[in-house]
Amino acid sequence: MSRASVTDTLKRSDGRPDTRGGTAPLPAGILIAGIAATLIATVGTLIVQLVYAWGGAGGMTPGCVQELTIKLAGGEELVNGALGVCNVVRAVISPTQSFLFWVALVVGLGAAVAGLIFYRSMPTRRMRDQCISGAVLGIQSALLVIFLMWFRSGNVFDFARNFLNFALLQDSFDGFVRGAKNTLQLAFVGELGGIGVGLVLAVLVISQHRVVRAPARIYINFFRGTPLIWQLPFFFYLLSFGFGIRLETFTVATIVFVLNTGAYAAEVFRAGIESIDKGQMEAARSLGMSYLQAMRYAIVPQAVRRVIPPLMNEFVILIKDTALIVVLGLTAEQLDIFGYARQGYASSFNATFFTATAVAYLVVTLPLIRLVNYVEERLRSGMAGRV
Amino acid sequence: MPNPDGSLVKLEKIHKWFGQNHVLNGIDLTVQPKNVVVIIGPSGSGKSTLLRTINLLEEPTEGRVLFDGKDITDIRTDVNEVRTHIGIVFQSFNLFPHMTARRNITISLRKVLGKSEEEADEIAMEELEHMGLPEKADAYPSQLSGGQQQRIAIARALAMRPKLMLFDEVTSALDPELVKEVLDAMIRLAEEGMTMVVVTHEMGFAREVGTRLIFTDGGRIVEDGKPREIFDAPQDERTKSFLSHVL
Repeated sequence: MSRASVTDTLKRSDGRPDTRGGTAPLPAGILIAGIAATLIATVGTLIVQLVYAWGGAGGMTPGCVQELTIKLAGGEELVNGALGVCNVVRAVISPTQSFLFWVALVVGLGAAVAGLIFYRSMPTRRMRDQCISGAVLGIQSALLVIFLMWFRSGNVFDFARNFLNFALLQDSFDGFVRGAKNTLQLAFVGELGGIGVGLVLAVLVISQHRVVRAPARIYINFFRGTPLIWQLPFFFYLLSFGFGIRLETFTVATIVFVLNTGAYAAEVFRAGIESIDKGQMEAARSLGMSYLQAMRYAIVPQAVRRVIPPLMNEFVILIKDTALIVVLGLTAEQLDIFGYARQGYASSFNATFFTATAVAYLVVTLPLIRLVNYVEERLRSGMAGRV
Repeated sequence: MPNPDGSLVKLEKIHKWFGQNHVLNGIDLTVQPKNVVVIIGPSGSGKSTLLRTINLLEEPTEGRVLFDGKDITDIRTDVNEVRTHIGIVFQSFNLFPHMTARRNITISLRKVLGKSEEEADEIAMEELEHMGLPEKADAYPSQLSGGQQQRIAIARALAMRPKLMLFDEVTSALDPELVKEVLDAMIRLAEEGMTMVVVTHEMGFAREVGTRLIFTDGGRIVEDGKPREIFDAPQDERTKSFLSHVL
């Protein structure tokens, strides 16, 4: 490893000079070992699962089916999902899997130790990066393997039967889609209404006059300070018993989500409005605008742009909070994701429905989270001033 | 009795406290139409606060502000209406960043003066040409240099057809090579007979363009007279010391 390699300037594909320097067998080997350990622990495990899932490693063990069989009242037997669960468990406890775990553990720890020993003495930036990346990957794969080995030393079968029995869900797809539709509808209307309520509250709560400020502050503190799971039934019974207004539970829930989100949105808007330079208000007032005109034309449009990312974050939170509608009774058509899963659980006594719930919420929220991050980046990169 | 002495602005015994801080300590000042009053003084001497009391961005703790003979510190006065006659330009421009240059100018014409869109657009273009920036009508502030932004801010204030223009250290935030274009615009305004009150650190402007120079220190007016006379022969020790530091 000659010192000259430090200053070797390689050309990158886009023509800019690459000043990170060359590499050598040792750091490259450490990186490869780290990558290998990670792949063995993740992709290897997945392949073992797939091989067993396709029945490639021998048939079903009879005892396995026995334990999974659910006896119905009429003496009928259900073995829904039995095969799938058996395969998951057998793959996890198979000798092949053990072998892969040990290989990944040894290779990963080896990369970690070697990388941490050698990274400081590496002569080029690239070599150092390779040592560090190899070591980090090695540690990550070792931790993953230890975690999985710990897991499979327990009662894997009981866990898998109750939480990973996906074959039970084969007729539930439409139900989850309808649930997702209801969840999104609740969250969307709640957020839109909440933004309206929040904007008004925010303008009130920043008022110079205490008599204007106080009611808005009380409202916000009430809805932020009490649990939604209490607000839902409280307002339901307040409306029906107290005011004699009989509305559908779905409608009441939507109203409560609007009121609740309004309180959170108000705080977001308040922070957004207060973040606008006070020179903007001075400029608007100096042109003869009233306070409300200045708010409307100068301050709020800028604040709204700034609070889009936090409001979208509130929306993601609200999507999951709509699950609390479960405390009110709903018809089958109105069930949200969580409500539908609970119904499935009630009829099967199997929590795999709830595992599917997590997946269903992720399907809805992940694209939104990506969108929030994208919008945030756009706003930060100087688009904030444009319409 | 409106305007017995023909003054445009009259400050009477103005005091301003920020908490324990006595920022303005009994200011009396009369500004006649077509005057260019330049206020100089060390930082913290209250000159910006003094300027900002004229359009009530700072409300005086004590004392009266008369504009065009009317007591605008009387709470029954419609401050919004008074402010339409007083343009102000700030150190940090304070253009609305979410609006084009044109809309920065037209928004108050339409929403405050109730002009139609066409009329407002016409005035905006007129003022943009006045400031030499007609081609920037559709640019956003972030696309403009500091000097251009400040000239748009001047155009925005002028579009209201004010009787008085206030300038609060309008070149202090500018890169040195951009100062001249803003000062030239202000000189043109002075030549056109606009009444101006200018807080500035530009001593050349104070000397050449000002019709009257005021030196403030410790919240008081220490010296008041013809710019050349004060620059050439300051009477007060504090003025002497300040001028010897900045010139």
